Amino acid sequence: MYGWIWRHLPGNTPVRTVISVILVLGVVYLLFQYVFPWAEPLLPFNDVTVDGAAGAGGAA
Amino acid sequence: MAEIEEGGERPANAVCTEPEEPAEGAGGDGAGSGGDRTGGGDGASSGGAGARGVVAAIVGVVGELLITAGLVLALFVVYSLWWTNVLADREAQREGSKVRDGWEQSERPGAIDIAGGIGFLHVPAMSSNDVLVKKGTEPDELNQGIAGYYTSPVKSALPQDQSGNFSLAAHRDGHGAKFHDIDKIEKGDAVVFETKNTWFVYKVYEILPETSRYNVGVLDPVPEESGKKEAGRYITLTTCTPVYTSKYRYVVWGELERTEDVDAERTPPKELR
Repeated sequence: MYGWIWRHLPGNTPVRTVISVILVLGVVYLLFQYVFPWAEPLLPFNDVTVDGAAGAGGAA
Repeated sequence: MAEIEEGGERPANAVCTEPEEPAEGAGGDGAGSGGDRTGGGDGASSGGAGARGVVAAIVGVVGELLITAGLVLALFVVYSLWWTNVLADREAQREGSKVRDGWEQSERPGAIDIAGGIGFLHVPAMSSNDVLVKKGTEPDELNQGIAGYYTSPVKSALPQDQSGNFSLAAHRDGHGAKFHDIDKIEKGDAVVFETKNTWFVYKVYEILPETSRYNVGVLDPVPEESGKKEAGRYITLTTCTPVYTSKYRYVVWGELERTEDVDAERTPPKELR
């Protein structure tokens, strides 16, 4: 998969390296900006309130 | 002699450089023979080698996906425990100074939107920093790096009320982690709530290190689980426990000891000095 991406990047090795770094940073940005904020309330790591059964689905 | 030595060195250099070329050639030969070998395999059973290639490719992709999943999970930990703190602290800082600015410009009451911030919680046993307190305990609100007072399931009293329970929640980890060190609080420690005009000095009298998330009775105006039977001016801090999980809730109760008027310099009460 990564080999395939690498082979399909344009340019020589330094250029491909730079493009790869930019791609990785872009993915990390998307994760931190959109994916993780969306996923976090769905995971049971940060519910801090006592809220009874009604609020069981919502993290608080 | 020298000429002979030089002459002797030159062939030596030549010998040094020469083997590289054959080595490359040999490498090329090796690759070539490797290619020959797979070629031979193809020749022997072309279908089997093709299937092996497909299987190898699939295994390779699955392996890369697993590695990627591991990296994403590691990044999620970084996000949860570090990045959300950065964001929340930044926002809490901004909101907090907005509230304090609003207090300073009190000659125009109501002129400044203090964004629902009612004051600051000081718990010297837990942290030397103050915690902005706002209304509400929804994720959107608590994620701003604040402590929120409950509006449901049991409506919180406010400190200035003549009786009731001022009940607060904040994050244990991530999003500012304002109650991270709640386990450092001991009975007798001071909890001070600062409003525009008053310091409310509470004293911790009971701690419940582990309770069910459904135990909403801890928020009652008279929290009987803490041993109190009569109406009074209480404060309740809640967060999740153990750290990094949300399995149980940690509860700290305090009772109002006294109030102090805020002076011109905002001199803190002796508990905070």
